[in-house]
Amino acid sequence: MKKEKFLSELRSKLKGLPKDDLESRISFYEEAINDRISCGKSEEEAVADLGSIDQIVEEIADQTPYFTLVKEKNKLRKKLSVATIILLILGFPLWFPLAITGLVLILVLYLVIWILVLVPGIACVGSLGFGVTCFIAMFANMAIGDPWILYLGASIGSIGVGLMLIPASVYAVIGFVKLSKLLFIRRKTKLIKREEK
Amino acid sequence: MDPQLRRGLLDVCVLSAIKDQDSYGYKIIKDLDPVLKLSESTLYTILKRLEDGGLLTVRVTMFMGRVRKYYHITSSGLARLGQFKSEWKELMEVYKYIEGKQ
Repeated sequence: MKKEKFLSELRSKLKGLPKDDLESRISFYEEAINDRISCGKSEEEAVADLGSIDQIVEEIADQTPYFTLVKEKNKLRKKLSVATIILLILGFPLWFPLAITGLVLILVLYLVIWILVLVPGIACVGSLGFGVTCFIAMFANMAIGDPWILYLGASIGSIGVGLMLIPASVYAVIGFVKLSKLLFIRRKTKLIKREEK
Repeated sequence: MDPQLRRGLLDVCVLSAIKDQDSYGYKIIKDLDPVLKLSESTLYTILKRLEDGGLLTVRVTMFMGRVRKYYHITSSGLARLGQFKSEWKELMEVYKYIEGKQ
């Protein structure tokens, strides 16, 4: 790919960045290509050296704070007209409860997701707890001369299940955190590329 | 590696690369290449952070009819390198202790 094509494509995919940040990044890449050419590389080689454009955009998305991108996106919005403002004030009793409901719904959804992620962990703690309780109960039964072997069985079984659930709980949480991070970067990449309406 | 630790190490590496002589983007990447691979976007972020923190200054020069930016380490940048070295010595003592216990 030629330098000019690379730079214009990169620029078009970084539209969501603040203008001065965008310009200084583009000139940084331009200089990087020129320096490689000065070192004896061909234009195509120099461009290829920098990696694919999508990869670069994703890296920049990862390094740019979410807040910066949202703020930049909001700059696109038109200013509210007087009529809209009056309507907003008059409609306050209607939209305010709706907004609160929406917020609560999002919060609940978030909680539910976390509870699902934590289910193996809760089951693990429960099994271990039950196993230990059975183990203690076994001695109590021994002391009063009741059959205790059942308690030993339940205790071993329960602790076994609990131990087996430990890796599952850890992987569930790690996996979820990784997935959240991935989705977050993807969301930021979209904001930078200005892919959505 | 812990992201915080990695970030600190990257900063110090880039500062070391410009310590003896002012340098420019591609040269920094080439100089650091045997120790660590830096992408252009990572280097950009580090340089920006160091510039904002006053650890280096940027000088724009003309080179073969085009712009080239040179990075120059400031006294705070040098102080940062010194601080890193003394901290690292402490860390090495801890490391030796841990290693001895293995």
